[in-house]
Amino acid sequence: MVQSAVDGDAAAWKALVEGMSPLVWSVVRAHRLSEADGHEVFQTVWFRFAQHLGGIREPDKTGAWLASTARHECLKVLRGLARLTLTDDPRVLDRASEDRTPEESLIDSEEAADRAERVRRLWQELDGLGERCRQLLRVLMASPPPSYGEISAALGIAVGSIGPLRQRCLRRLRARMDARGAV
Amino acid sequence: MNGDDGNRTTGETGPDEDAFADALLEEELRQAAAVLDPVPAELLQTALDAFALHDLDARLAELTFDSLVDALPVRGVMDPPRMLTFRAGEVTVDVEVTADGLIGQVLPPQAVRIEVLGGPQTASPLTADTLGRFTGETPPAGPFALRLRTGAEVIVTEWLRA
Repeated sequence: MVQSAVDGDAAAWKALVEGMSPLVWSVVRAHRLSEADGHEVFQTVWFRFAQHLGGIREPDKTGAWLASTARHECLKVLRGLARLTLTDDPRVLDRASEDRTPEESLIDSEEAADRAERVRRLWQELDGLGERCRQLLRVLMASPPPSYGEISAALGIAVGSIGPLRQRCLRRLRARMDARGAV
Repeated sequence: MNGDDGNRTTGETGPDEDAFADALLEEELRQAAAVLDPVPAELLQTALDAFALHDLDARLAELTFDSLVDALPVRGVMDPPRMLTFRAGEVTVDVEVTADGLIGQVLPPQAVRIEVLGGPQTASPLTADTLGRFTGETPPAGPFALRLRTGAEVIVTEWLRA
């Protein structure tokens, strides 16, 4: 697909963008940038990818290249903000994107409403998991599921530590959901 | 014995069931993300349009220095200029971005035509002299790249967020 895009095939480019955008977006969201900053990082990543298209030597590492580029741009934004405001309080950067409610999307039936309620809770509980887990899960839930190599590039953590961390974070989330359900 | 399947006391959850529950929860999260935090449609469109930036004829000038990453913060200076250096072979482009705009220098000194790109569809010319010094009145808003036309070739700097 990368090779076809290099050769000028717009359909191949479209397939790449559609397949990889959720991963790039998940990296942006994992770093909790403001909306404007997040949008600029996302654009920068794709502009740069278009530039580097001819130089991509290993097409199967495209996802990792995009994830790593997104991560570095996110870190630059955070560094710039810290320098500008002399604060590294992550709460300053904490913007939830909750202008859409799940109810708007899924309200046909009572069952759907229950499901929507669970989705909304899951989303809330993510924030209580701690930064490491929240970041990992936000990237992990990109669609299609990212490879461990891509997750490693996205978050700067070793491939070998992803499996155990994933297990721990998912179990912690499950425990929190169970505890809420019991109330 | 650990890892001996089919030999489990009833009522306990085994590793397989845990792994299964993990996979289910992960999938549930994936669906939640698709509903609650999808890629914004306008961003997807921008990424699709970015194919136009794939330019086979231009030489890429890679970022080799970025003050945001490579320089120590200067004590007491609240808003230091962003210093950037790009390199394509023997050609170097030094850029300084401040709140007032953008200034820079192409080395070795030479007459160039130069423009600032702001996306797949936006380009605006900068003023450059015969020694390769250039200025822009407004700082780039958002991602930008510089496109230089020397006598011999076209050079484009790596895209960057100012």
